[in-house]
Amino acid sequence: MGVVMPLQKAMEKSFKQVTRDDSTDLALFVRTSEEDIVGWKRQRIVDALLRETFIDRDTAERISIDVEKTVQTSNLKTVTGPLIRELVNARLLELGLEEARRMHTRLGVPLYDVDHLLVQHNKENANVPHGPEATNLTLAEGIKKEYALLHVFTTDVADAHLSGDLHLHDLGFIDRPYCSGQSLEYVKKFGLNLPNSLALAKPAKHADVLLAHMVKFAAALQSHFAGAIGWDAVNLFFAPYLEEMSDREVKQLAQMLIYEFSQQAVARGGQAIFSDINVYWEVPKHFVDVPAIGPGGEYTGKTYGEYEKDAQRFAWALFEVYKEGDGAGRPFFFPKPLVHITEKFFKTEGHMDFLHHICEVASLKGNTYFVFDRGDTAKISECCRLSFKLDASDLEDAKEPWRMRYSALQNVTINLPRLAYKAKGDDTKLFTLLTERIKLAAKGHEQKKKFIEKLMGLGKGGPLAMLAMDLDGNSYLRLERCSYLMGMVGLNELVKVHTGEELHDSEESLKFGLKVIAHMNIVCNKMAEQLGMKFVLEQTPAESTAYRFAKLDMAHHPEETARVIQGDMESGEIYYTNSTLFNVGAKMNPIARVEKEGLLHPLIEAGSITHVWLGEANPDKKALADFVIKTFRHTNNDQIAFSPEFTCCLDCGKTGRGITETCRYCGSAKIDGITRITGYFTKISSWNKGKLGELHDRYRNEERFVRK
Amino acid sequence: MTLFTKPDCRLCDQLKRRFDLKGMEVDIEVLDTGDAGALAHLAWHGLVETARKTLPILVLDDSATVDDFADIESLLISRAEQRGLKYNDSVAPAVSCETGVCAIN
Repeated sequence: MGVVMPLQKAMEKSFKQVTRDDSTDLALFVRTSEEDIVGWKRQRIVDALLRETFIDRDTAERISIDVEKTVQTSNLKTVTGPLIRELVNARLLELGLEEARRMHTRLGVPLYDVDHLLVQHNKENANVPHGPEATNLTLAEGIKKEYALLHVFTTDVADAHLSGDLHLHDLGFIDRPYCSGQSLEYVKKFGLNLPNSLALAKPAKHADVLLAHMVKFAAALQSHFAGAIGWDAVNLFFAPYLEEMSDREVKQLAQMLIYEFSQQAVARGGQAIFSDINVYWEVPKHFVDVPAIGPGGEYTGKTYGEYEKDAQRFAWALFEVYKEGDGAGRPFFFPKPLVHITEKFFKTEGHMDFLHHICEVASLKGNTYFVFDRGDTAKISECCRLSFKLDASDLEDAKEPWRMRYSALQNVTINLPRLAYKAKGDDTKLFTLLTERIKLAAKGHEQKKKFIEKLMGLGKGGPLAMLAMDLDGNSYLRLERCSYLMGMVGLNELVKVHTGEELHDSEESLKFGLKVIAHMNIVCNKMAEQLGMKFVLEQTPAESTAYRFAKLDMAHHPEETARVIQGDMESGEIYYTNSTLFNVGAKMNPIARVEKEGLLHPLIEAGSITHVWLGEANPDKKALADFVIKTFRHTNNDQIAFSPEFTCCLDCGKTGRGITETCRYCGSAKIDGITRITGYFTKISSWNKGKLGELHDRYRNEERFVRK
Repeated sequence: MTLFTKPDCRLCDQLKRRFDLKGMEVDIEVLDTGDAGALAHLAWHGLVETARKTLPILVLDDSATVDDFADIESLLISRAEQRGLKYNDSVAPAVSCETGVCAIN
């Protein structure tokens, strides 16, 4: 009891003090975040502290009085809500209440930064143009990123991201899954029936209406996913609508599809929808006997196996459009066409003509992605290289293809070179550190999963209403089927630090690289079993991550980093080699690069790619076809793309081959380059410094491929 | 010569019981045990996808690969005979995997 009495007295004293202070007539007005100017009320501080933190009322009262005194004595002319919050936060810190300060913190952007953002181009994502919508995106992303790091992820995970041990991708899109792959059958069967749409459209009766539904649905999906929106077997699923159409009309439809996707710069931040279309020359085995859905969402009475010719007509027409390029002859950036090369492809009539056709496009414009599905493998591909391999249950879903909806919920990338700096040549330490990082990445995945589950739990009244729509009895986002991507950056530099050689230098160095990725594969599988989540390795595209890690390591491990970093340190155009790729500047025979890099691909189950940079070379379509066949038959490579370069003139509007200082037609210096940045084409002027460094270093295989 | 196997694979086990693989200088790589070295070795030979369908796999000294069980058996018999080593005839022959576990996970 002796202890209680003083406490009671203290409380009474405090209460009297509070009562007295409540009567203060501070003649001060506060600019609030609700766009109002209101009179000073100390109680608002108390209310906010009690609402947002776990501190007790007395402490809240005490802080509010202290802050009020500060405001009074400072003789301020203007007081704003944010300023009061800062003062309260400073007092919380002085009292050692760090957790309360964290909970009470304000997310926002300094005036100086906004001023810069409004006029300067943000180059974190080369697909985002410069404009008011892009600024909105950047500002919103900035706040959501802070929110994620403070509130979604635990401190250890957030700190690992901030320090550059790993990279949590798309933090600015914390309230969305990463990417989505789906079937057009959903739109064909259910029409365009979106939760927030003002009008419902029944299933399309005509091909052009189906296309309109597809594009609008893709735009709606883009605002619910951070990454790519991929479509499976597009040419096949359009086929039942094409029976009565002439070749000319089919070409027109193909043209509309490509222009609609590539010109619609209306997705978040004013960027085009990051879209992929999977294309098959043959009818994939798993769709052959599936009843086809046609106009009006009705079954046509035929199976997809019977639509091979119409599917082929559409595939051919799509690539005719890609070959022509846009109105100025430039390559289309989106939708990216991914052609699946399978055993059945080579048994399907007309395959060589089609292969030459798509190889011509690859040579002229670079659009074609060659996805290799060997044996019984079937997959949906999208993004820069991501693949969803279809397992037995997916193939069961293929009988009702609208069910085929796949998503990766998040991507976390591990900074591999840093592990080697810390291991100092010790294998055991290296693999132990790698395991720790994977476990931390898995923890980050669990936290994002929990957050998305919370949002999805709000159902059709929540922010992810569209993903919760359940037209086929299941929510559109099938959370239980989501995968969780584990990426990597800088395997090449890790190997160089640890063994003294780069991946392409010797058998031993490549074998060590294989061991690192094999270890990642094994630990991922163990974590998947332990946590009941599908963790899969993916070659991170790392458009900005390869640069970010390099910069952070130059700051924190300058000596070690300087020895292995790629690019030009003087200009700051530095980078780590992407994912498991070999040094982009290594003068290797392209088929050897495809073969050797491909040895790593089967261990990376969610997708890999090898780039063959063409520069100005314009190889013969038959030579490329031969290259593609060799890759399919004699390597393990998952996917390849050939990347030519272009210069487009901002004065005369013409586009020339190769990257030149001036326009080769009119001599103007007002030019921009175009080539593939990671997995997609874009204008070089929008690239970050790291990618510019890589572009400079790329070995272009120009002497390997004969120019036509 | 390297034989890729895994612990609970019946066909792998049959070969191990039938032949003195060590005496025949056949290296054994055991997969699915968390050994990154073994998996990396498998990947080096470009055999990951093959091993997802079937095990055991034999890699010959010239790097040629054999995944047909009967062919592996006859190659091992030849090798044992060349080296004058005995091998066990009494193991009940199995030409296919009955349990479905003769492949990596």
